[in-house]
Amino acid sequence: MTIWAMLSGIEGNLAAYEAVLADLKRQRTEIDELYILGDLVGATSESEDLVQRVRSPRRGEIEPQVCAGWWEEQCFILHGVSTQSEAPELIAKYGADTVKLLWDAVPHETVKWLRSLNFGFFELDSLLIHGSTVGVDDELTPKTSPVQMLDRLMRSDANNLFCGRSGLTFEYELHQGSVTVAVTTLDRQQEPIVNTVSPRRVIGVGNVGRSPGKATYTLYDPGINHVEFKTIRYGGTGFKVAQMARSAQGEHKPKNSRV
Amino acid sequence: MKMAVMSCIHGNYEALDSVLLDINQHHAEKIICLGDLVGYGPHPNAVVEMIRSLDIPTVQGCWDEDIVEGLNSCECSYPSMLAEKRGKAAHEWTNQNIQPETRSFLAELPLSLREDNLCFVHGSPHSQHEYLLPDVNAFLALERVLSTGADVLFCGHTHVPYVRSLNAGELRATVKQPGVEQESLSFAAPLKRIINVGSVGEPRHGRPNATYVLYDTETEEVTLREVQYDYQKTCAAIVEKGLPSIFAWRLAQGLEYAEKADDPTHVCER
Repeated sequence: MTIWAMLSGIEGNLAAYEAVLADLKRQRTEIDELYILGDLVGATSESEDLVQRVRSPRRGEIEPQVCAGWWEEQCFILHGVSTQSEAPELIAKYGADTVKLLWDAVPHETVKWLRSLNFGFFELDSLLIHGSTVGVDDELTPKTSPVQMLDRLMRSDANNLFCGRSGLTFEYELHQGSVTVAVTTLDRQQEPIVNTVSPRRVIGVGNVGRSPGKATYTLYDPGINHVEFKTIRYGGTGFKVAQMARSAQGEHKPKNSRV
Repeated sequence: MKMAVMSCIHGNYEALDSVLLDINQHHAEKIICLGDLVGYGPHPNAVVEMIRSLDIPTVQGCWDEDIVEGLNSCECSYPSMLAEKRGKAAHEWTNQNIQPETRSFLAELPLSLREDNLCFVHGSPHSQHEYLLPDVNAFLALERVLSTGADVLFCGHTHVPYVRSLNAGELRATVKQPGVEQESLSFAAPLKRIINVGSVGEPRHGRPNATYVLYDTETEEVTLREVQYDYQKTCAAIVEKGLPSIFAWRLAQGLEYAEKADDPTHVCER
């Protein structure tokens, strides 16, 4: 049995990250891989401590594999290492003051390390990413249209797409679909053929740090294609854990690469 | 209304002139151009001047963008180092020979045009650089049409004309969320079409003839047009003006000489 733990949106909340690590240690089954799907940092004073904590795991802890997210992209823009030169989205969502807060929270050396992170991970038949291959700001939610979800899966040729941009925990399964296609060129006319779709899933892995006192994350067993969402209440007298399991079956295509 | 849609003129004035004559002979009431006015060919300024003088609504193509923004797309733009070397040589020649007013015109072109249930783009609604090939995954193709809200998506960029109908599209999904009742989603799309209008000035369908499309908005009839012209005149001008001679060979064959990119749907990170 192999178990992956997937976190996203820690957003510079060190206490939330510690709570998740503690919960991972309490699992009956050992965690084999720990993925952080972006938004490690945020406009908080703890961001730098959190980065150091992630980069230097303690004895017995798994070394997390981290990819870049929306907040990291804002850092890249502010430090001039992005294709964009301005951060209108940051200002629109969080206000102009956040520009200085983020600048102060994440030093240039750390931004250089963040810049070296992958855009996502491709493991077996699964894409693990902050938004989607379209971009870190591509927010997939339970309300996203089926055709858009399928497009995001097809773009990466993945059977499972694990993402964190929405901050929600959800399992969105496309289980049936068809479209009839005919092509006419200058030289031939093709008879209509029916294209079908094989089952595929998009999984929202939750958010660790955005809501004080509450963190959500996801466990995944690729061997049996089982998804389990975890919710942790932390702070005060201790951690209270609520577990919600969701499972599904699917086929696998061996593939391992960094995106 | 009968409408003519053309794309990818690529500085080939001879081809444009012949296509405009053909359009006139077919009594099209409106012409729309899907970009790539410049690049590869020897007459970029004359082509832009013709489009401007006829006031033809035009969207910006990838070559038009590159001339305005500079060559800053990612390394995937070229399928080989040889193709990259030749492409960059063509870009530099065009960049040096283009007049300021031509560059200004290209800079102001919109990325898409809309007319009732018709949408017009160069590559795809998501990028001027995305290739909507006739065999690209059907659901991916359907998403591109649906993302515009139109029923018919006109595009170019591949230089090979085709009409692809996507009919009776349907998808079913279930969504599970902790603490929320499981939700079933279904989606259905009526007939949508992608019409690739080919290339006026640099065709790649296996013959040197220019291609474009006639579309009747009343009957929804599509006619793929193939127009003969004196391509050897353009080939001679390519060589004479110092552009890579392989472009003249390619124009004469109506073929892409380079290997194809592994992932034609890849969108450059600019």
